[in-house]
Amino acid sequence: MSRRVPLLLLLCISARSLCAQDLSGIEIHGFVTQGFLFSSQNNYLTMHSSSGSLQWTDGAVSISDSLTDKLRVGIQLHMNQLGQLGGPNIQVDWASADYRVNDRFGFRAGKVKTVMGLFNDSQDVDAVFLWTLLPQSIYPNDNEGFFLSHLGGEVYGRLPLGHRVGKLHYDGFAGESYLPLHGGYIKQIGDAGLVFTTAPGGTTYGGDLRWEAPLQGLLIGASADIQAMDGTAPQGSLHLVPFLSAYYYVQFRKGKFYLAAEYNDAPSRASITLGQTVVPIPVGAHAWYAMGSYQLSKKIQVGSYYSCSVDTGLEPGLAVNYSKDWVVSGRYDFDSYFYAKLEGHFLHGTALGYYGSTNTNGLKDNSNMLAAKIGFSF
Amino acid sequence: MSVAGKTRCFLLLLALVVCCSTARAQDIVLVANKSVQVSALNDADLRAIFTGEKTRFADGSRALPVTLKGGAAHEVFLRKHLGETPDEFRAQWRKAVFTGQGAMPKTFDSEAAVIQYVATTPGALGYVSRISPQDNVKSLATSK
Repeated sequence: MSRRVPLLLLLCISARSLCAQDLSGIEIHGFVTQGFLFSSQNNYLTMHSSSGSLQWTDGAVSISDSLTDKLRVGIQLHMNQLGQLGGPNIQVDWASADYRVNDRFGFRAGKVKTVMGLFNDSQDVDAVFLWTLLPQSIYPNDNEGFFLSHLGGEVYGRLPLGHRVGKLHYDGFAGESYLPLHGGYIKQIGDAGLVFTTAPGGTTYGGDLRWEAPLQGLLIGASADIQAMDGTAPQGSLHLVPFLSAYYYVQFRKGKFYLAAEYNDAPSRASITLGQTVVPIPVGAHAWYAMGSYQLSKKIQVGSYYSCSVDTGLEPGLAVNYSKDWVVSGRYDFDSYFYAKLEGHFLHGTALGYYGSTNTNGLKDNSNMLAAKIGFSF
Repeated sequence: MSVAGKTRCFLLLLALVVCCSTARAQDIVLVANKSVQVSALNDADLRAIFTGEKTRFADGSRALPVTLKGGAAHEVFLRKHLGETPDEFRAQWRKAVFTGQGAMPKTFDSEAAVIQYVATTPGALGYVSRISPQDNVKSLATSK
Protein backbone atom coordinates (compact mmCIF):
# COMPACT_ATOMS: atom_id res chain seq x y z
CA MET A 1 0.00 0.00 0.00
CA SER A 2 1.21 3.52 -0.78
CA ARG A 3 3.00 5.34 2.05
CA ARG A 4 1.00 8.35 1.03
CA VAL A 5 -2.18 6.87 2.55
CA PRO A 6 -1.05 7.06 6.20
CA LEU A 7 0.38 10.54 5.58
CA LEU A 8 -2.83 11.78 4.05
CA LEU A 9 -4.84 10.13 6.80
CA LEU A 10 -2.67 11.84 9.43
CA LEU A 11 -3.16 15.16 7.68
CA CYS A 12 -6.92 14.68 7.58
CA ILE A 13 -7.17 13.61 11.21
CA SER A 14 -5.00 16.54 12.35
CA ALA A 15 -7.03 18.93 10.27
CA ARG A 16 -10.22 17.40 11.65
CA SER A 17 -9.25 18.40 15.17
CA LEU A 18 -8.50 21.89 13.90
CA CYS A 19 -11.87 21.88 12.13
CA ALA A 20 -13.56 21.33 15.48
CA GLN A 21 -12.01 24.63 16.61
CA ASP A 22 -13.28 26.41 13.45
CA LEU A 23 -10.42 28.91 13.65
CA SER A 24 -12.45 32.12 13.45
CA GLY A 25 -14.46 31.23 10.37
CA ILE A 26 -11.82 29.25 8.48
CA GLU A 27 -13.19 25.86 7.51
CA ILE A 28 -10.98 22.88 6.89
CA HIS A 29 -12.27 19.68 5.32
CA GLY A 30 -10.63 16.70 3.73
CA PHE A 31 -10.88 13.18 2.48
CA VAL A 32 -8.61 10.25 1.72
CA THR A 33 -9.39 6.98 -0.04
CA GLN A 34 -7.58 3.77 -0.82
CA GLY A 35 -8.85 1.53 -3.58
CA PHE A 36 -8.24 -1.99 -4.84
CA LEU A 37 -8.93 -3.36 -8.29
CA PHE A 38 -8.85 -6.92 -9.55
CA SER A 39 -9.74 -7.94 -13.11
CA SER A 40 -10.24 -11.41 -14.51
CA GLN A 41 -8.55 -10.45 -17.80
CA ASN A 42 -6.80 -7.34 -19.14
CA ASN A 43 -5.26 -4.61 -17.02
CA TYR A 44 -7.57 -1.69 -16.42
CA LEU A 45 -6.89 2.03 -15.93
CA THR A 46 -3.08 1.51 -16.13
CA MET A 47 -3.15 -0.67 -13.01
CA HIS A 48 -1.85 -4.24 -13.07
CA SER A 49 -5.35 -5.21 -12.05
CA SER A 50 -5.12 -8.77 -13.39
CA SER A 51 -2.82 -9.43 -10.41
CA GLY A 52 -4.80 -7.20 -8.06
CA SER A 53 -3.65 -3.62 -7.61
CA LEU A 54 -3.62 -1.15 -4.76
CA GLN A 55 -2.24 1.67 -6.95
CA TRP A 56 -5.36 3.69 -6.34
CA THR A 57 -4.99 6.43 -3.74
CA ASP A 58 -6.74 9.74 -3.54
CA GLY A 59 -6.84 12.58 -1.03
CA ALA A 60 -7.64 16.24 -0.66
CA VAL A 61 -7.72 19.04 1.88
CA SER A 62 -9.84 22.14 1.38
CA ILE A 63 -9.57 25.42 3.24
CA SER A 64 -12.11 28.18 2.87
CA ASP A 65 -13.18 31.37 4.61
CA SER A 66 -16.04 33.79 4.27
CA LEU A 67 -14.47 37.23 4.10
CA THR A 68 -17.87 38.95 4.04
CA ASP A 69 -21.42 37.57 3.99
CA LYS A 70 -21.25 37.60 0.17
CA LEU A 71 -17.59 36.80 -0.54
CA ARG A 72 -15.93 33.47 0.11
CA VAL A 73 -12.44 32.32 -0.87
CA GLY A 74 -10.95 28.90 -0.77
CA ILE A 75 -8.50 26.39 -2.10
CA GLN A 76 -8.47 22.62 -2.35
CA LEU A 77 -5.26 20.64 -2.71
CA HIS A 78 -5.56 17.21 -4.22
CA MET A 79 -3.36 14.20 -4.78
CA ASN A 80 -4.42 11.28 -6.98
CA GLN A 81 -2.64 8.08 -7.96
CA LEU A 82 -4.39 5.78 -10.43
CA GLY A 83 -1.99 3.13 -11.65
CA GLN A 84 0.59 4.90 -13.81
CA LEU A 85 -1.55 8.05 -13.94
CA GLY A 86 -1.51 10.94 -11.53
CA GLY A 87 1.33 10.90 -9.06
CA PRO A 88 2.53 11.98 -5.65
CA ASN A 89 2.58 15.66 -6.54
CA ILE A 90 -0.10 17.72 -4.88
CA GLN A 91 -2.22 19.64 -7.38
CA VAL A 92 -4.59 22.54 -6.96
CA ASP A 93 -8.03 21.02 -7.44
CA TRP A 94 -9.75 24.38 -7.27
CA ALA A 95 -8.86 27.81 -5.93
CA SER A 96 -11.40 30.53 -6.26
CA ALA A 97 -13.14 33.60 -5.01
CA ASP A 98 -16.91 33.27 -4.91
CA TYR A 99 -19.06 36.41 -4.78
CA ARG A 100 -22.75 35.79 -4.30
CA VAL A 101 -24.59 38.98 -5.21
CA ASN A 102 -27.91 37.43 -4.22
CA ASP A 103 -29.65 34.05 -4.46
CA ARG A 104 -30.31 34.59 -8.18
CA PHE A 105 -26.80 35.56 -9.26
CA GLY A 106 -23.26 34.89 -8.21
CA PHE A 107 -19.88 34.43 -9.82
CA ARG A 108 -16.66 32.57 -9.17
CA ALA A 109 -13.23 33.15 -10.62
CA GLY A 110 -9.97 31.26 -10.44
CA LYS A 111 -9.58 27.55 -10.98
CA VAL A 112 -13.18 26.43 -10.68
CA LYS A 113 -14.93 23.08 -10.95
CA THR A 114 -16.85 22.75 -14.22
CA VAL A 115 -20.56 22.07 -13.87
CA MET A 116 -21.45 19.60 -16.62
CA GLY A 117 -23.97 16.81 -16.40
CA LEU A 118 -24.95 15.29 -13.08
CA PHE A 119 -21.52 14.49 -11.66
CA ASN A 120 -18.70 16.20 -13.58
CA ASP A 121 -17.83 18.75 -10.89
CA SER A 122 -17.96 16.20 -8.08
CA GLN A 123 -16.59 13.09 -9.81
CA ASP A 124 -13.45 13.13 -7.66
CA VAL A 125 -15.39 13.38 -4.38
CA ASP A 126 -15.64 9.68 -3.64
CA ALA A 127 -17.36 10.21 -0.29
CA VAL A 128 -20.62 11.46 -1.81
CA PHE A 129 -21.21 8.45 -4.08
CA LEU A 130 -22.34 4.89 -3.67
CA TRP A 131 -20.20 3.91 -6.68
CA THR A 132 -16.53 3.00 -6.52
CA LEU A 133 -16.25 3.89 -10.20
CA LEU A 134 -18.73 6.29 -11.77
CA PRO A 135 -20.03 5.24 -15.20
CA GLN A 136 -16.83 5.37 -17.23
CA SER A 137 -18.74 6.07 -20.45
CA ILE A 138 -19.31 9.64 -19.28
CA TYR A 139 -17.01 10.09 -16.25
CA PRO A 140 -13.73 8.34 -17.11
CA ASN A 141 -11.50 8.15 -14.05
CA ASP A 142 -8.35 8.14 -16.17
CA ASN A 143 -9.22 11.54 -17.61
CA GLU A 144 -11.09 13.24 -14.79
CA GLY A 145 -8.30 15.79 -14.42
CA PHE A 146 -9.13 17.20 -17.85
CA PHE A 147 -12.89 17.53 -17.41
CA LEU A 148 -13.03 18.43 -13.75
CA SER A 149 -12.15 22.11 -13.75
CA HIS A 150 -11.05 25.06 -15.80
CA LEU A 151 -9.14 28.28 -15.30
CA GLY A 152 -11.54 31.14 -15.70
CA GLY A 153 -14.91 32.09 -14.37
CA GLU A 154 -18.41 30.96 -13.77
CA VAL A 155 -21.76 32.65 -13.22
CA TYR A 156 -24.49 30.79 -11.38
CA GLY A 157 -27.86 31.26 -9.80
CA ARG A 158 -31.28 29.95 -9.00
CA LEU A 159 -34.53 31.25 -10.45
CA PRO A 160 -37.77 30.36 -8.65
CA LEU A 161 -40.58 29.90 -11.17
CA GLY A 162 -43.45 29.55 -8.74
CA HIS A 163 -44.81 26.79 -6.59
CA ARG A 164 -46.39 24.95 -9.54
CA VAL A 165 -43.52 25.27 -12.01
CA GLY A 166 -40.47 24.64 -9.83
CA LYS A 167 -37.03 26.22 -10.00
CA LEU A 168 -34.34 26.70 -12.59
CA HIS A 169 -30.65 26.46 -11.69
CA TYR A 170 -28.24 27.90 -14.22
CA ASP A 171 -24.50 27.86 -14.58
CA GLY A 172 -22.32 29.42 -17.30
CA PHE A 173 -18.58 29.14 -17.58
CA ALA A 174 -15.66 30.19 -19.76
CA GLY A 175 -11.94 29.84 -19.58
CA GLU A 176 -9.08 27.55 -20.43
CA SER A 177 -8.62 23.88 -19.77
CA TYR A 178 -5.53 21.73 -20.07
CA LEU A 179 -4.79 18.07 -20.62
CA PRO A 180 -3.00 16.95 -17.43
CA LEU A 181 0.47 15.67 -18.25
CA HIS A 182 -0.15 12.64 -16.02
CA GLY A 183 -3.62 11.93 -17.38
CA GLY A 184 -4.98 9.24 -19.68
CA TYR A 185 -5.16 11.17 -22.94
CA ILE A 186 -1.53 12.36 -22.72
CA LYS A 187 -0.45 8.81 -21.89
CA GLN A 188 -2.30 7.37 -24.89
CA ILE A 189 -0.84 10.01 -27.18
CA GLY A 190 2.59 9.40 -25.65
CA ASP A 191 2.27 5.66 -26.29
CA ALA A 192 1.73 6.62 -29.96
CA GLY A 193 4.99 8.56 -30.04
CA LEU A 194 3.99 12.14 -29.21
CA VAL A 195 5.39 13.05 -25.79
CA PHE A 196 4.26 16.36 -24.35
CA THR A 197 6.35 18.20 -21.78
CA THR A 198 3.97 21.18 -21.69
CA ALA A 199 0.27 20.53 -21.22
CA PRO A 200 -1.84 21.10 -24.33
CA GLY A 201 -4.66 23.51 -23.67
CA GLY A 202 -7.44 25.50 -25.20
CA THR A 203 -10.51 27.58 -24.61
CA THR A 204 -13.62 26.09 -23.14
CA TYR A 205 -17.01 27.63 -22.62
CA GLY A 206 -20.51 26.41 -21.98
CA GLY A 207 -23.25 26.09 -19.46
CA ASP A 208 -25.70 23.99 -17.55
CA LEU A 209 -29.42 24.43 -17.01
CA ARG A 210 -31.37 22.21 -14.64
CA TRP A 211 -35.04 22.26 -13.74
CA GLU A 212 -36.09 21.27 -10.28
CA ALA A 213 -39.62 20.13 -11.02
CA PRO A 214 -42.59 20.77 -8.69
CA LEU A 215 -42.67 16.99 -8.16
CA GLN A 216 -40.23 16.77 -5.26
CA GLY A 217 -37.14 14.78 -6.10
CA LEU A 218 -37.30 15.18 -9.89
CA LEU A 219 -34.46 17.01 -11.65
CA ILE A 220 -34.06 17.36 -15.42
CA GLY A 221 -31.21 19.14 -17.10
CA ALA A 222 -28.84 19.66 -19.95
CA SER A 223 -25.29 20.93 -20.34
CA ALA A 224 -23.18 21.99 -23.28
CA ASP A 225 -19.47 22.60 -23.60
CA ILE A 226 -17.40 23.81 -26.53
CA GLN A 227 -13.79 22.79 -26.26
CA ALA A 228 -10.71 23.42 -28.38
CA MET A 229 -7.19 22.11 -27.84
CA ASP A 230 -3.69 22.69 -29.17
CA GLY A 231 -0.33 21.44 -28.03
CA THR A 232 3.20 21.15 -29.31
CA ALA A 233 5.72 18.44 -28.46
CA PRO A 234 9.28 17.81 -29.72
CA GLN A 235 7.95 15.09 -32.04
CA GLY A 236 4.93 16.95 -33.40
CA SER A 237 1.67 18.58 -32.40
CA LEU A 238 -1.95 18.03 -31.45
CA HIS A 239 -4.85 20.05 -32.81
CA LEU A 240 -8.46 19.62 -31.75
CA VAL A 241 -11.05 21.55 -33.74
CA PRO A 242 -13.58 23.23 -31.38
CA PHE A 243 -16.35 20.73 -30.77
CA LEU A 244 -19.62 20.69 -28.89
CA SER A 245 -20.19 18.14 -26.17
CA ALA A 246 -23.79 17.88 -24.96
CA TYR A 247 -25.19 16.18 -21.86
CA TYR A 248 -28.82 15.41 -21.07
CA TYR A 249 -29.83 14.00 -17.72
CA VAL A 250 -32.64 13.17 -15.36
CA GLN A 251 -32.56 12.31 -11.69
CA PHE A 252 -35.28 11.23 -9.28
CA ARG A 253 -35.14 10.69 -5.52
CA LYS A 254 -38.02 9.28 -3.54
CA GLY A 255 -37.52 8.08 0.00
CA LYS A 256 -34.88 5.35 -0.11
CA PHE A 257 -34.85 5.10 -3.90
CA TYR A 258 -32.61 6.94 -6.32
CA LEU A 259 -32.75 6.78 -10.13
CA ALA A 260 -30.71 8.62 -12.72
CA ALA A 261 -29.88 8.47 -16.40
CA GLU A 262 -27.64 10.53 -18.60
CA TYR A 263 -26.69 10.76 -22.27
CA ASN A 264 -23.60 12.40 -23.77
CA ASP A 265 -22.87 13.18 -27.39
CA ALA A 266 -19.36 14.41 -28.15
CA PRO A 267 -18.32 14.19 -31.81
CA SER A 268 -14.85 15.64 -32.29
CA ARG A 269 -12.16 16.00 -34.91
CA ALA A 270 -8.58 15.96 -33.79
CA SER A 271 -5.35 15.53 -35.66
CA ILE A 272 -1.91 14.55 -34.53
CA THR A 273 1.10 15.69 -36.53
CA LEU A 274 4.13 13.44 -36.18
CA GLY A 275 6.99 14.76 -38.25
CA GLN A 276 5.52 15.29 -41.71
CA THR A 277 2.58 12.97 -41.13
CA VAL A 278 -0.83 14.29 -40.16
CA VAL A 279 -3.07 11.66 -38.56
CA PRO A 280 -6.75 12.64 -38.36
CA ILE A 281 -8.63 11.21 -35.36
CA PRO A 282 -12.36 11.61 -35.78
CA VAL A 283 -14.32 10.49 -32.72
CA GLY A 284 -18.07 9.96 -32.80
CA ALA A 285 -18.72 8.85 -29.25
CA HIS A 286 -22.24 8.37 -27.96
CA ALA A 287 -22.41 7.46 -24.31
CA TRP A 288 -25.11 6.89 -21.76
CA TYR A 289 -25.91 5.19 -18.49
CA ALA A 290 -28.88 4.35 -16.30
CA MET A 291 -28.55 3.76 -12.57
CA GLY A 292 -30.59 3.00 -9.52
CA SER A 293 -29.90 2.59 -5.85
CA TYR A 294 -31.70 1.79 -2.61
CA GLN A 295 -30.88 2.67 1.00
CA LEU A 296 -31.25 -0.71 2.69
CA SER A 297 -30.59 0.62 6.15
CA LYS A 298 -28.94 3.61 7.83
CA LYS A 299 -25.53 2.13 7.09
CA ILE A 300 -26.02 0.13 3.89
CA GLN A 301 -26.78 1.32 0.38
CA VAL A 302 -26.89 -0.91 -2.72
CA GLY A 303 -27.30 -0.16 -6.39
CA SER A 304 -26.64 -1.03 -9.98
CA TYR A 305 -25.97 0.70 -13.28
CA TYR A 306 -25.45 -0.02 -16.95
CA SER A 307 -22.95 2.17 -18.78
CA CYS A 308 -22.43 2.20 -22.54
CA SER A 309 -20.12 4.03 -24.92
CA VAL A 310 -20.06 3.41 -28.66
CA ASP A 311 -18.10 5.12 -31.42
CA THR A 312 -20.76 5.23 -34.11
CA GLY A 313 -18.29 6.38 -36.76
CA LEU A 314 -16.51 3.04 -36.64
CA GLU A 315 -17.46 -0.63 -36.97
CA PRO A 316 -19.80 -1.05 -33.97
CA GLY A 317 -19.30 -4.80 -33.73
CA LEU A 318 -15.60 -4.55 -32.97
CA ALA A 319 -14.82 -4.70 -29.25
CA VAL A 320 -12.30 -1.87 -29.60
CA ASN A 321 -15.13 0.48 -30.61
CA TYR A 322 -17.46 -0.02 -27.67
CA SER A 323 -17.49 -0.33 -23.89
CA LYS A 324 -20.51 -1.79 -22.07
CA ASP A 325 -20.42 -2.24 -18.34
CA TRP A 326 -22.94 -3.88 -15.99
CA VAL A 327 -22.22 -2.92 -12.39
CA VAL A 328 -23.51 -3.91 -8.97
CA SER A 329 -22.38 -1.97 -5.95
CA GLY A 330 -22.67 -1.69 -2.19
CA ARG A 331 -21.57 0.82 0.41
CA TYR A 332 -21.28 0.52 4.19
CA ASP A 333 -21.00 3.63 6.37
CA PHE A 334 -19.28 2.77 9.66
CA ASP A 335 -20.09 6.26 10.93
CA SER A 336 -20.34 9.74 9.45
CA TYR A 337 -16.62 9.71 8.59
CA PHE A 338 -15.54 6.18 7.56
CA TYR A 339 -17.03 4.11 4.80
CA ALA A 340 -16.26 1.10 2.61
CA LYS A 341 -17.42 0.16 -0.89
CA LEU A 342 -17.48 -3.07 -2.89
CA GLU A 343 -18.36 -3.25 -6.56
CA GLY A 344 -18.52 -5.79 -9.36
CA HIS A 345 -18.09 -4.92 -13.03
CA PHE A 346 -19.01 -7.08 -16.02
CA LEU A 347 -17.25 -5.22 -18.79
CA HIS A 348 -17.67 -5.92 -22.50
CA GLY A 349 -15.55 -4.13 -25.08
CA THR A 350 -12.20 -2.40 -24.85
CA ALA A 351 -12.90 1.17 -26.02
CA LEU A 352 -12.38 2.72 -22.59
CA GLY A 353 -9.85 2.34 -19.81
CA TYR A 354 -7.23 0.17 -21.53
CA TYR A 355 -3.65 1.11 -22.32
CA GLY A 356 -1.09 -0.61 -24.50
CA SER A 357 1.71 -0.13 -21.97
CA THR A 358 -0.07 -2.33 -19.40
CA ASN A 359 -1.56 -4.77 -21.92
CA THR A 360 1.43 -5.72 -24.03
CA ASN A 361 -0.07 -9.15 -24.85
CA GLY A 362 -3.17 -7.62 -26.37
CA LEU A 363 -6.70 -7.38 -25.00
CA LYS A 364 -9.50 -9.86 -24.46
CA ASP A 365 -12.93 -8.55 -25.49
CA ASN A 366 -14.50 -8.96 -22.04
CA SER A 367 -13.33 -8.73 -18.46
CA ASN A 368 -14.94 -9.00 -15.04
CA MET A 369 -13.65 -6.80 -12.25
CA LEU A 370 -13.88 -6.38 -8.52
CA ALA A 371 -13.35 -2.86 -7.19
CA ALA A 372 -13.17 -1.95 -3.51
CA LYS A 373 -12.50 1.22 -1.57
CA ILE A 374 -12.23 2.51 1.93
CA GLY A 375 -12.52 6.19 2.63
CA PHE A 376 -12.40 8.80 5.35
CA SER A 377 -14.02 12.18 4.97
CA PHE A 378 -14.78 15.09 7.27
CA MET B 1 -55.55 0.02 46.97
CA SER B 2 -52.91 -2.62 47.79
CA VAL B 3 -49.18 -1.85 47.72
CA ALA B 4 -48.86 -3.92 44.55
CA GLY B 5 -51.67 -2.00 42.96
CA LYS B 6 -50.14 1.35 43.88
CA THR B 7 -46.80 0.18 42.53
CA ARG B 8 -48.43 -0.85 39.25
CA CYS B 9 -50.15 2.52 38.95
CA PHE B 10 -46.92 4.35 39.70
CA LEU B 11 -45.00 2.38 37.09
CA LEU B 12 -47.77 2.94 34.55
CA LEU B 13 -47.72 6.67 35.26
CA LEU B 14 -43.93 6.74 35.00
CA ALA B 15 -44.05 4.93 31.66
CA LEU B 16 -46.66 7.38 30.42
CA VAL B 17 -44.53 10.37 31.45
CA VAL B 18 -41.44 8.90 29.77
CA CYS B 19 -43.35 8.18 26.56
CA CYS B 20 -44.80 11.69 26.48
CA SER B 21 -41.38 13.21 27.14
CA THR B 22 -39.86 11.16 24.35
CA ALA B 23 -42.61 12.19 21.97
CA ARG B 24 -42.19 15.84 22.97
CA ALA B 25 -38.41 15.55 22.69
CA GLN B 26 -38.79 14.52 19.08
CA ASP B 27 -41.30 17.33 18.48
CA ILE B 28 -39.03 20.03 17.21
CA VAL B 29 -39.22 23.80 17.10
CA LEU B 30 -37.52 26.22 14.75
CA VAL B 31 -35.51 28.87 16.60
CA ALA B 32 -33.99 32.07 15.28
CA ASN B 33 -31.99 35.02 16.52
CA LYS B 34 -34.21 37.82 17.76
CA SER B 35 -32.95 40.02 14.91
CA VAL B 36 -34.80 37.81 12.41
CA GLN B 37 -37.94 39.65 11.32
CA VAL B 38 -39.87 36.76 9.76
CA SER B 39 -42.22 34.89 12.05
CA ALA B 40 -42.84 31.81 9.92
CA LEU B 41 -41.20 29.70 7.22
CA ASN B 42 -42.62 27.07 4.91
CA ASP B 43 -40.91 23.80 4.02
CA ALA B 44 -39.78 25.11 0.63
CA ASP B 45 -37.97 28.03 2.27
CA LEU B 46 -36.51 25.79 4.96
CA ARG B 47 -35.24 23.37 2.33
CA ALA B 48 -33.71 26.22 0.33
CA ILE B 49 -32.01 27.75 3.38
CA PHE B 50 -30.68 24.52 4.85
CA THR B 51 -29.34 23.32 1.48
CA GLY B 52 -27.60 26.61 0.79
CA GLU B 53 -29.79 27.65 -2.15
CA LYS B 54 -31.12 30.63 -0.25
CA THR B 55 -28.95 32.82 1.92
CA ARG B 56 -31.53 35.51 2.66
CA PHE B 57 -34.92 35.69 4.31
CA ALA B 58 -37.85 37.19 2.39
CA ASP B 59 -37.04 40.62 3.81
CA GLY B 60 -33.48 40.45 2.42
CA SER B 61 -31.73 39.91 5.74
CA ARG B 62 -29.09 37.21 5.98
CA ALA B 63 -30.14 33.67 6.86
CA LEU B 64 -27.49 31.60 8.63
CA PRO B 65 -28.54 27.96 9.07
CA VAL B 66 -27.26 26.03 12.08
CA THR B 67 -27.57 22.28 12.44
CA LEU B 68 -27.17 19.55 15.00
CA LYS B 69 -24.55 16.90 14.41
CA GLY B 70 -27.03 14.08 14.91
CA GLY B 71 -29.73 12.78 17.21
CA ALA B 72 -33.48 12.49 17.16
CA ALA B 73 -34.24 16.20 16.69
CA HIS B 74 -31.83 16.36 13.73
CA GLU B 75 -33.38 13.34 12.05
CA VAL B 76 -36.92 14.55 12.63
CA PHE B 77 -36.13 18.01 11.25
CA LEU B 78 -34.48 16.64 8.11
CA ARG B 79 -37.23 14.11 7.46
CA LYS B 80 -40.14 16.40 8.22
CA HIS B 81 -38.99 19.62 6.57
CA LEU B 82 -36.31 18.70 4.02
CA GLY B 83 -37.43 15.18 3.11
CA GLU B 84 -33.87 13.91 3.54
CA THR B 85 -31.93 11.46 5.63
CA PRO B 86 -28.87 12.63 7.61
CA ASP B 87 -26.64 10.82 5.09
CA GLU B 88 -28.24 12.60 2.12
CA PHE B 89 -27.96 15.93 3.91
CA ARG B 90 -24.31 15.32 4.75
CA ALA B 91 -23.47 14.12 1.19
CA GLN B 92 -25.08 17.20 -0.30
CA TRP B 93 -23.00 19.55 1.85
CA ARG B 94 -19.84 17.55 1.29
CA LYS B 95 -20.37 17.92 -2.44
CA ALA B 96 -20.76 21.69 -2.04
CA VAL B 97 -17.60 21.95 0.08
CA PHE B 98 -15.36 19.73 -2.06
CA THR B 99 -16.46 21.40 -5.30
CA GLY B 100 -15.83 24.88 -3.88
CA GLN B 101 -19.50 25.77 -4.25
CA GLY B 102 -20.46 26.20 -0.63
CA ALA B 103 -19.50 26.13 3.03
CA MET B 104 -21.02 23.75 5.55
CA PRO B 105 -23.46 25.25 8.02
CA LYS B 106 -22.29 25.53 11.61
CA THR B 107 -22.89 22.24 13.36
CA PHE B 108 -23.15 21.60 17.09
CA ASP B 109 -23.14 18.52 19.28
CA SER B 110 -25.87 19.68 21.63
CA GLU B 111 -29.12 21.62 21.54
CA ALA B 112 -27.80 23.91 24.27
CA ALA B 113 -24.91 24.88 22.00
CA VAL B 114 -27.35 25.52 19.14
CA ILE B 115 -29.46 27.78 21.35
CA GLN B 116 -26.41 29.68 22.59
CA TYR B 117 -25.11 30.27 19.05
CA VAL B 118 -28.51 31.25 17.65
CA ALA B 119 -29.07 33.66 20.55
CA THR B 120 -25.81 35.49 19.91
CA THR B 121 -25.59 35.43 16.09
CA PRO B 122 -27.70 37.78 13.95
CA GLY B 123 -29.57 35.90 11.25
CA ALA B 124 -28.97 32.46 12.79
CA LEU B 125 -31.66 29.83 12.28
CA GLY B 126 -31.67 26.41 13.93
CA TYR B 127 -33.89 23.71 15.37
CA VAL B 128 -34.16 22.02 18.76
CA SER B 129 -36.57 19.70 20.48
CA ARG B 130 -39.55 21.43 22.02
CA ILE B 131 -38.52 20.54 25.57
CA SER B 132 -35.16 22.30 25.22
CA PRO B 133 -34.92 25.62 27.04
CA GLN B 134 -35.25 28.39 24.47
CA ASP B 135 -33.91 31.39 26.31
CA ASN B 136 -33.11 34.49 24.31
CA VAL B 137 -34.21 33.08 20.95
CA LYS B 138 -37.30 33.48 18.88
CA SER B 139 -39.56 30.59 17.86
CA LEU B 140 -40.74 30.48 14.25
CA ALA B 141 -43.85 28.77 12.98
CA THR B 142 -43.50 26.25 10.16
CA SER B 143 -45.93 25.26 7.45
CA LYS B 144 -46.08 22.91 4.50
